[in-house]
Amino acid sequence: MNWSLFFGELVSGLTLGSIYALIALGYTMVYGILKLLNFAHGDVYMVGAFVGFFVLKWLGGPLAPAVTGWLAVAIMFTVAMLACGALGVGIERFAYRPLRNAPRIAPLISALGVSIFLQNSALLLWGPQFRDYDTFDLVGVKSYHIGTNFFISNVQILTISVSIGLTILLALVISRTRTGKAMRATSFDRDAAEMMGISIDRVISFTFFLGSALAAAGGIMFGLVFGQIFSLMGFTAGLKGFTAAVVGGIGSIPGAVLGGFLIGLTEAFATGYLPGGSVYANLYVFALLIVMFLIRPTGLLGSPVIQKV
Amino acid sequence: MSSLGGGQPGEGGLPAAAPEPVDAPDRVKVGVDEWVAEAEGRRAARSGLTGALVRVWERLPAPARLAILIGPFAIFPFITNEGNLYRYGLITIIYALLALGLNVVVGFAGLLDLGYVAFFGVGAYLYGIMASGHSGHHLQAEIAIPIVVISTALFGLLLGLTSWRLLGDYLAIVTLFFLQAFVIFVNNANGGLNDFSYPFVGKVDLTGGSNGLDQIDPLNFFGYHITTTKGYYFFTLISITLLMTMLYFVNGSRTGRAWRALREDPLAAEVMSVPVNRLKLLAFMFGAATAGFSGTIYGAVQSGAFPGDYDVGLLITIYAIVILGGLGSIGGVVIGALVVNGAPELLRSSSNARFLFYGVLLLALFIAMRPWYKPVVVLLGTIAFGFAVHGIASAVWSRGTAGHIEGGGQLGRALEHWVLLPRNTSSIAGWAYFALIVAALVLTLLRGWWRALALIPTLYLASFVWENKLVEQVSGATRLILLGGLLVVIMNVRPSGIFGTSRVEIA
Amino acid sequence: MAALLELRDVSKAFGGLQVIDHLNLHVDEGEIVSVIGPNGAGKTTVFNLITGIYHVDSGEIVFEGDKVSGLPPHAITNRGIARTFQTLRLFLNMTVLENVMAAEYGQTKATALEAMLQLPRARREEKRIRKVAEEKLAFFGQRLAGYRHDQPAYSLSYANRRRLEIARAMATNARLLLLDEPAAGMNPHETHEITELIGKLRDDADYSILVIEHDMHVVEGISDRVIALDHGVKIAEGLFDEVATHPLVIEAYLGVRAEAEAV
Ligand SMILES: Nc1ncnc2c1ncn2[C@@H]1O[C@H](COP(=O)(O)OP(=O)(O)OP(=O)(O)O)[C@@H](O)[C@H]1O
Ligand SMILES: [Mg+2]
Repeated sequence: MNWSLFFGELVSGLTLGSIYALIALGYTMVYGILKLLNFAHGDVYMVGAFVGFFVLKWLGGPLAPAVTGWLAVAIMFTVAMLACGALGVGIERFAYRPLRNAPRIAPLISALGVSIFLQNSALLLWGPQFRDYDTFDLVGVKSYHIGTNFFISNVQILTISVSIGLTILLALVISRTRTGKAMRATSFDRDAAEMMGISIDRVISFTFFLGSALAAAGGIMFGLVFGQIFSLMGFTAGLKGFTAAVVGGIGSIPGAVLGGFLIGLTEAFATGYLPGGSVYANLYVFALLIVMFLIRPTGLLGSPVIQKV
Repeated sequence: MSSLGGGQPGEGGLPAAAPEPVDAPDRVKVGVDEWVAEAEGRRAARSGLTGALVRVWERLPAPARLAILIGPFAIFPFITNEGNLYRYGLITIIYALLALGLNVVVGFAGLLDLGYVAFFGVGAYLYGIMASGHSGHHLQAEIAIPIVVISTALFGLLLGLTSWRLLGDYLAIVTLFFLQAFVIFVNNANGGLNDFSYPFVGKVDLTGGSNGLDQIDPLNFFGYHITTTKGYYFFTLISITLLMTMLYFVNGSRTGRAWRALREDPLAAEVMSVPVNRLKLLAFMFGAATAGFSGTIYGAVQSGAFPGDYDVGLLITIYAIVILGGLGSIGGVVIGALVVNGAPELLRSSSNARFLFYGVLLLALFIAMRPWYKPVVVLLGTIAFGFAVHGIASAVWSRGTAGHIEGGGQLGRALEHWVLLPRNTSSIAGWAYFALIVAALVLTLLRGWWRALALIPTLYLASFVWENKLVEQVSGATRLILLGGLLVVIMNVRPSGIFGTSRVEIA
Repeated sequence: MAALLELRDVSKAFGGLQVIDHLNLHVDEGEIVSVIGPNGAGKTTVFNLITGIYHVDSGEIVFEGDKVSGLPPHAITNRGIARTFQTLRLFLNMTVLENVMAAEYGQTKATALEAMLQLPRARREEKRIRKVAEEKLAFFGQRLAGYRHDQPAYSLSYANRRRLEIARAMATNARLLLLDEPAAGMNPHETHEITELIGKLRDDADYSILVIEHDMHVVEGISDRVIALDHGVKIAEGLFDEVATHPLVIEAYLGVRAEAEAV
């Protein structure tokens, strides 16, 4: 067996997976509370990557940075997460909130509209070309090896650990804070929560803020890992993020993370091992989704949906 | 908080819905009754000219309605000879045909199928594989079309199977992924280095990969080739007329009722003797077959099939058509297609697009604002505001007025004295675009005269952004931005589509 | 005479919650049987089991001598069982007439293709079921008559929606109607009307009826037999007076302390 290929795919799968996990978290939270598939989420992720890019440029670019590389990265994360959090709140406020009691299909189509709007706004303003993050110059990518076959770079370590760290932080927010409790109550029964005096609007806004901020973090990680971003990167990533959320069990926070890693690993190993994998990896992810739906429609960690009659 | 939650029940609405039984706290969701009452109000409020028109329209017999919708298309070729116009007309009808099939899936059966345009692609590619210089086969259309229709229907059946287990959003994502899978497949299935190696036959160039499948044959029925745009135009027009008629009959039949029942409440439908799963499949198959058929025509018209044509952009276009026309409204798709595809296609040059932009803006202003003098005030205000800004700018910021409108005609020349045209616009226009979005959103929060007042700088900003940024990419990004925005706005203002009757849903 | 509908030892649990526990129940031809019980007793669940929305865990359901448990809901309906919903599930955006006609799907055969081409069978069937639907609606007198046929269902009042649900169930050509709280949310006048209507359904239209009802006046007025459920167990069965005064029933409704006082 070719161990270096195996470990290579393993590490790249985990890296990809941690990006998908961050996207999936946003889907899962929003879905848990609003039962809405937020198509625009993938595009928020793309906007996050671009905000990071412009922050970097504003700091003088990777070659002549005003601050050291890692601090620049930290600033990129902070600004992008705040900006995208606000974007998410805005999207909810204007595109979804007026539709809370409308027919089921209306917010979905509205979401589709927002997605197209964001995607093409990016095309209009920033063009279709790739933008470089220049990760090598920015932080000086180092590769560590353990044994002869296992390599991992500092950027990959950063990605995986930031993703896990943010997830733990999120879990704490949800389980410990008052707002977190309100979120859980709302996702359990929105109407009852409203009658108990919880401000649903505030909870939903907060949820969108968190989810979108996490997506922005994912977007920057993508930029750091692959060195490049582009205006159309949100669509496929969003699709996979949602797949991750579904595979893990929609509405479940650990499920989203598990799903994210599973999708990342599937993609990586499909690329390395399956016929046509280098171009058809996404087809294999799709196949995984279908299989998942057939054997366990509620996802790995999801609880069964009760439909009372 | 929006007005939906606590809105006033419109006049003529429900008698404030009967009192809820105390023993069922979970019976009706908070806010739903108001929504129902409001919908009633909206329906009743359609008075005046529009209301009268709608009522006349609804009372017309079906053949008359069909004639009114299709008639103009039929005489169109006799009043113009311009080749390009033909082509736009043709594409519009093809899109309408495509939308008709989607309408069955989404509008009738209520299944949110976001993979729909993949079947359009399957139609084009499959026909291309059976009849093109690329593949080397040249099947006659009378054989190829039934094969395409049957195979796309089978594909539809396969995708539809997922609808047995999945509802709503899950179905949406699986079908969207299916579309994505299709695009990836056709982009790569060229028998190249990375492609699959199939059992028995090895590597095959099926789709031509990202270069597309070219040299598709014109449709050839029993040796008679359709070679002119005019020929395709009439062929498609006849097809759509037949299909609309058949759909009209289906809609009124047990199948149509069962589809609508399934859209309203699948569980109740099932208990009321409707085999829901079978009807879902039927809807998917019907939609897919229609898409496959229109894809074949499209492939033959383009004499090629290219992966980029069957992507999310087309999906949005078709959804916009269906939604504008009204979900579930058969005739609506024709109007939807005219608006969504016809208008921008006809006005492709930037000067025509400019007329369209300001025209639509004016129209929207006068339709949306009551009473009549309000939009007049806003309009005059905006004009004055523009000249004032321009005047000040030319004194203090000469760069801001240095630009020109290329080939703008009379309107363009007039605008040069009104709208700011900085020489190096890129980043200013970018920020202005951003500001415009924020301004438009803020507008939705204001009421009455405040809104009218805020509208003045917003409109000016809009034309600034239009002249300096949007106009650059009229047929690309701008078109899709407008479509995306349109979808959001329609969903917020009139979720049933412009020409559809409003629907009420109680979750 | 053999029972029209029979539940034999039927059980159903959701997770750990035993909602129906070895229930035996039958409805004879031409009978009106009421099911009563406190909230959460499992009454609606019985209906869901009979109509195939839920699957029984054990036991079987027999209709006209044939086992129907295990069949999909639409097939059960076609055998001759139809229901109304406690939580009203009309096709709100379809007209009143269409609501009723939609329920006649199982009694028609014309395919979509025949409808497209307007072949004779499609047209014939359409005419027939329209007539049937109008007949069913006529059963409710002025309430659902005339101009109401073409109104969307959502424009109906609450009481009329309940009536339309019954009309829709009738249109499936059922022999047994399952009515889930038909009088819920109605005022006393309307409640009285519904009581009479249920009697008429049996006497004039030959339906057998299984009805869930909380309003004891209605139950008293219509029932040939009453079955009391609590926690999925049948605690009493018999004539209204016997069941209403049964100690277990009183306990179920009022709690144990009340029983201690009553004794
Ligand atoms: N699909 C389901 N999943 C889980 N629990 C269920 C489901 N359906 C019903 N239950 C539970 O089964 C019990 C009985 O419910 P059911 O609806 O049959 O009561 P009911 O007797 O009709 O009460 P009511 O008078 O309030 O209508 C309740 O505790 C309910 O929560
Ligand atoms: Mg009940």
